[in-house]
Amino acid sequence: MKPRKVLIVDDEPHVIRVLRLTLEREGYRVETANDGNEALEKMAGYAPDVLISDIQMDGMDGRTLCRTARRRYPLRSFLILVMTSMTAMDERDWVRELSDIEFLEKPLSPRQLVARLARYCFAPPGDLEIDHAG
Amino acid sequence: MPDKALADIDFTKYGRWLRRLTGTDYEMAVCNASGAPVWHSHAAGDLPAWLQQLVAHGFRWHCSGDGMQRHDADDATLLYAPIHCQTGALGFVTVRAEGTSTVPAAWDTLAETLEDVCAGIVAEHAMKSELNAMADELSERYEELHLVYAIDRQVRAMKPGGDLFESLLKSWAVQMNADVAAFVKPGDNLCVSATNLSSPIHNLDLVLVEMRGDLFRFANSSRQPIVINELADPRRAYIFTDLPFKILCCPVLDEKAVVAILVLVNHVTKPDFTNSDRKLGELLANQLSSLSRMYGMLAETNTFNEQMAASLIEAVEAKDPYTRGHSERVHHIAMQIGGAMKLPAQELDNLFWGSLLHDVGKIGIPDAVLCKPARLTRDEFTFIMVHPERSYEILRHIDRLKGAMPGARHHQEKFDGSGYPHGLAGNDIPLNARIIAVADTYDSITSSRAYRAGRSHEAALLEIERCAGTQLDPAIVAVFREICLTEPEWLQRFSIQREAVAPAAQQQRAAGD
Repeated sequence: MKPRKVLIVDDEPHVIRVLRLTLEREGYRVETANDGNEALEKMAGYAPDVLISDIQMDGMDGRTLCRTARRRYPLRSFLILVMTSMTAMDERDWVRELSDIEFLEKPLSPRQLVARLARYCFAPPGDLEIDHAG
Repeated sequence: MPDKALADIDFTKYGRWLRRLTGTDYEMAVCNASGAPVWHSHAAGDLPAWLQQLVAHGFRWHCSGDGMQRHDADDATLLYAPIHCQTGALGFVTVRAEGTSTVPAAWDTLAETLEDVCAGIVAEHAMKSELNAMADELSERYEELHLVYAIDRQVRAMKPGGDLFESLLKSWAVQMNADVAAFVKPGDNLCVSATNLSSPIHNLDLVLVEMRGDLFRFANSSRQPIVINELADPRRAYIFTDLPFKILCCPVLDEKAVVAILVLVNHVTKPDFTNSDRKLGELLANQLSSLSRMYGMLAETNTFNEQMAASLIEAVEAKDPYTRGHSERVHHIAMQIGGAMKLPAQELDNLFWGSLLHDVGKIGIPDAVLCKPARLTRDEFTFIMVHPERSYEILRHIDRLKGAMPGARHHQEKFDGSGYPHGLAGNDIPLNARIIAVADTYDSITSSRAYRAGRSHEAALLEIERCAGTQLDPAIVAVFREICLTEPEWLQRFSIQREAVAPAAQQQRAAGD
């Protein structure tokens, strides 16, 4: 199976390092960006299967990035995972308008991220067959 | 794994380094420990292919010492230096030179430069390994923090009586991507489990029985975390025999005795349980255990409160056998009214204790008055009128019942202000007291006394309706009427007498339904 591509966007290098290491070990091809602008530049030449983004970033923030990415690439199918602190419940509102987007609570559980990505990217072969047939 | 060690190093700068120091544009390649090229300097060059050919023809990367090595092939000479780190060879830096039988002077500089390049690569690799190790460590800390935050959030959001343990286990099973999570604490009579099945477990009940039984006993004697991943693990002779699952079992120790275990169970297809799983397990096991201890103490305190109240009530009711069960009945009916009025939790709690203990002051009434089977004289009635104030005087010693006291103290006040002890009227009478008054009136009418038999539910209802606005709060009477329309369960429970309902009325009710 072709390795799935994940784009991680965060301005905290330690978060990027932990996630990159975790996901590369699981066989994902990981690209990273430090803010929304850099992420959009990368997405111009590269279609990730999953976009993982922080919200609060210098430069373009996660809110704008997610909206822009969805609007700019309506035909690409990719999952968006937004990282937010457990206390920032009000962040839950703006994402309702976007499709295929979920929350990850910070501090992130790398384990849960791996499990979530596996469900999204590697649904049991049977399911994939059905998907292709459909 | 060593072959992947060089994968995330960018060698371009080492290529530049070599070129600048030697002043020669050598074709350079870096090979991993197996001798396979991982990087080369001249994109169009055939150095990697040439190296592979050499290896195919028996070249074995022989090294004497750490310095530059020389291998003369038919068409050219390979100069190479091993990249040595503490754990062994990471690979080789190689340069191809013209075949020559002598040692050109330029090779001295080249040898020194290759050594420097190797040392640089070793240092960079060490730094990257260290960073990765730190990232791993950080990753585990994230995991722990995530778990701790999740526990904290759930504990804070828990509702009284909600199944906290089950929801904690459920979220833990999800977080750990485990099929089953269970917590067993025999001392607190606690055995909770939650599932997050990746595929069905047909004998789940057996698995749970095994945890409560043999696994707990095993943990109890070993007092160590138990991790069993392999199917061939010899401990399977004692635990999880014929149950082909991976298990992680974390004991909770209290004074060297195992008081509880936390267990995770996985299908064999899942990854092995790791050390970090074990650490997280211990963290949660300790949290659950102290929560359970807290719950135990809370339950104990509640039981103590109820038993103290029961003793007090027993003391009152012992004085007058005819009032046996009165407090309990008034309490039950008052709580029904309070519930129907959707009182807030704190008010319901006050009503709970106020209604249960409203007559405690009767302890102060002489038996001759309390049990007199005839009409009371004015003086005797004065004794009776003192009892709500006595209830207050007795209960005020208990801080916990501060909110409950007004209900008990004023349950004999009348809505029109003609009651006792303070002659309060209307909404000046505390709400709980007005509720208790309705329940109290109902029970006095329907239960038997020394001087008369108890009357029917219907008679009581008529009497209460009649007193609405004079003795009783009409708003609460209205709530009581609504409850009575639902044929409340207490009619059976307290064996309340009924009057034969007129067929017409019955039909009317049926039509009303």
